[in-house]
Amino acid sequence: MPPGDLERVLCGLKFPTDPNLIVGLDSADDAGVYKITDEIAIIQTVDFFTPIVDDPYWFGQIAAANALSDVYAMGGIPKTAMNIVAFPVKDMDISVLRKIIQGGLDKMKEAGVVLVGGHSVEDSELKYGLSVTGFIHPDHILTKKGFKAGDRLVLTKSLGTGVINTAIKGGLASSKAIEFVTHLMATLNRDAAQVMKGFPVHACTDITGFGLIGHVAEMVVDSGFGISLWSEKIPIIPEAFDYAAMGLVPAGAYNNRKFREAMVDIYPSVKRAVLDIMYDPQTSGGLLICVKKESADDLVNKLKGKGIDDAAVIGEVLSEPKGKIVVS
Amino acid sequence: MKEIDARGLACPAPVLQTKSAIEEVNPSLIKIIVDNEASKQNVCRFLESRNYETSIKEDGNDFLIVGKRKEGVSPEVSSEILIDKKTTDTKKIMVMLATDRMGFGDDELGLKLMISYIKTLKEMGHELWRLVFVNNGVKLTIEGSEVLPVLKEYEKDGLQILVCGTCLTHFNLLDKKQVGETTNMLDIVTAMQLADKVINI
Repeated sequence: MPPGDLERVLCGLKFPTDPNLIVGLDSADDAGVYKITDEIAIIQTVDFFTPIVDDPYWFGQIAAANALSDVYAMGGIPKTAMNIVAFPVKDMDISVLRKIIQGGLDKMKEAGVVLVGGHSVEDSELKYGLSVTGFIHPDHILTKKGFKAGDRLVLTKSLGTGVINTAIKGGLASSKAIEFVTHLMATLNRDAAQVMKGFPVHACTDITGFGLIGHVAEMVVDSGFGISLWSEKIPIIPEAFDYAAMGLVPAGAYNNRKFREAMVDIYPSVKRAVLDIMYDPQTSGGLLICVKKESADDLVNKLKGKGIDDAAVIGEVLSEPKGKIVVS
Repeated sequence: MKEIDARGLACPAPVLQTKSAIEEVNPSLIKIIVDNEASKQNVCRFLESRNYETSIKEDGNDFLIVGKRKEGVSPEVSSEILIDKKTTDTKKIMVMLATDRMGFGDDELGLKLMISYIKTLKEMGHELWRLVFVNNGVKLTIEGSEVLPVLKEYEKDGLQILVCGTCLTHFNLLDKKQVGETTNMLDIVTAMQLADKVINI
């Protein structure tokens, strides 16, 4: 749903509380965390959506990588998953669904996750995703808060999947761009999450539907800090810049901008297409890692050593202006 | 003139229709009607990337976009700079106060003059756009300042008052500030760029 709408729906509703619920609905975090013992907590998340690429096998992989990402973003390890399927049985050949589920299964296997069940409904529109459960040590949870002035922000995947997907819908995307974005979206955030465990990381999230600025905004709100983003350092999918400049920007990007622009200061030198991409909703986007300044370059080098070539330092935490995002 | 009605269509369809129209007939003037914000922005971006100058008229829930082909200008230079939506036709005067005294010589006189200056600033009318206080100037915005009531009145009337955060911190006055918004150098630099006239005191 567009940003802001969900807040309006949930506003004022009373949710049951429990002392063992460490991360719940009151924070805008990626997944919920429930403590079982002092050593172990379970981490739960769910995500599903309509196809974004034509190939059903790749769609299955992307949907699974996307759902698993929330667990990685909080520092957890995903363990079990359940399929969520909505399928137009009358209009579509059942073999399509088989390929989607095969894609999901292969991605789960890669992540070391077992499928324990699922639920399917008949629907006019195809949807697929997972409900995921993982484990995490209660003292080692990474949230969107806890960063300090001077921390550097490291992004692990290029931005622009929404723009490329809009170009695909318009039949204007090159086959090179389609292939790049398909592989990028199907890439697990597992390796990035593993690498960051060896570093002084203060906060982490993954970049999805609200776009880079939307997710940074969630970090900044009530944090007592500001964040500066360096537009020229941001990794962008090849061709996304050109597509954005010619108006292939998804409506979601404009919604994201409208919702957050009041807290964003923009240098006049920032290119409009880059700014559009910074608001662009991402599917299965990368991790945004807040790491101690001195370790940032080392972290990027280690990520690149693991094959995460897009990783880059893209900004820093500021003590002033509080509650603002400064795009330079 | 080529006309396209792209109402009821979601992105990227309005851009695709505009694209094929331009590629087929290469009109010097093109008119596109859309009914949502994203399509409006995207069609404008597309036209600008194809070297058209755009203007937008709102008509109820619809947006009427008119594209006029520019002659002899490369598309790269046509992208507009995104700065501040509040840009209006009135002239914008920014006054930067880096001291709490006006002029040099006698401090007592300097303070008197400064108080009088701030009180008289309102004569600039609507063109007075922003007051920026830096260095010793921030002392005019803290409790006990003689111009505090005047500044509060200005702020109530919509004048933007920016007070340098680094300076307040330096003088240990951060919690004594009574008026204006704490600001940073980027805001100050951006304000200078947006202003039509900057007056330094």
